[in-house]
Amino acid sequence: GSALARGLLSWARPERWLPSCSLFPLSCIHTSTSLQKLGKWEKKNLIVYPPQLPGEPRRPAEIYHCRRDIKYSKDKMWYLAKLIKGMSIDQALAQLEFSDKKGAKVIKEVLLEAQELAVRKHNVEFKSNLHIAESLTGRGRYVKRIRYHAKGMFGIMKIVRCHYFVKLVEGPPPPPEPPRTGFDQAKEYVQELRNRTLVHTL
Amino acid sequence: ALAVQAPAVLPQAAAEGREGSTEAPGLWESILWMAVPKKRRSIEVNRCRRRHPSKLIQEKRNIDVCPECGNLKQKHVLCGYCYAKVKAETRLIRMEIRKKEGGPFNAPTVETVVLYEGEKPTEKDEGKRIIERARKRPSWFVQN
Repeated sequence: GSALARGLLSWARPERWLPSCSLFPLSCIHTSTSLQKLGKWEKKNLIVYPPQLPGEPRRPAEIYHCRRDIKYSKDKMWYLAKLIKGMSIDQALAQLEFSDKKGAKVIKEVLLEAQELAVRKHNVEFKSNLHIAESLTGRGRYVKRIRYHAKGMFGIMKIVRCHYFVKLVEGPPPPPEPPRTGFDQAKEYVQELRNRTLVHTL
Repeated sequence: ALAVQAPAVLPQAAAEGREGSTEAPGLWESILWMAVPKKRRSIEVNRCRRRHPSKLIQEKRNIDVCPECGNLKQKHVLCGYCYAKVKAETRLIRMEIRKKEGGPFNAPTVETVVLYEGEKPTEKDEGKRIIERARKRPSWFVQN
């Protein structure tokens, strides 16, 4: 009873779903969105490399972005994440625009936000010169609720949420790997046979 | 005493026995014939099924660029942006029509012509109803 009430109150907390300072433009109150603990993915944006030496090849810019607690299933979101993995950002946006899934709209927003971040903060010159290096989904916080059935029976349903993580890297997308042929497999087998040695001997 | 009481009890028991044998099997018996998983499916087996190429989303190869506005569109579908802008203009024209008619069932029996700022009705638009719109003619709305 008390746990349920506490759970309900935590759900109904307004600072969870209002963006910071949207209703009070004149006040400078820090709402909870800025004070929430930074997750591991958000912290990846904060690493600073030492300046590169003149001879080194240019390190491509990496942008980490994520969205937390999306009201969608992580398994269903995974299919979209798998679709856009390895594509250039324009191609990914085109595919997501014409996908019928609910998560496609969310991922499109996340990609556009990440593109904007890249151009403004991460010194990326051309916003089209980005490709998606990694795109992952994770399980968000689930809530359990009662689902009422006939004859007084009930089931416990889970309200499912997910996180979506994306890593954009500057540069054209890498060429796709050529599929493994029988010749490659045979070569690897012969190499394994050649790598065998005698153990516990002189 | 037993011989007297027995006939009163026996027919009822016989009747119940007969009913029980001819009764259709209830739910608790037919469960034995239902399809039921024998073993828990391991996560490896589940992954093979969920990640099979037939279940992955296919990439769409029918996306082009709209020559009018430059947004993306599917080849066999109207451009969403251009359709939305035409829809908005049509809504305003319909609001003007509603203002002119002033109520339901007042549609005239003649054709309608939409004229924008600075346009005069030509001799072709003699008997037609004229709807005025207070803006410049949009480039996509070609005048006859």
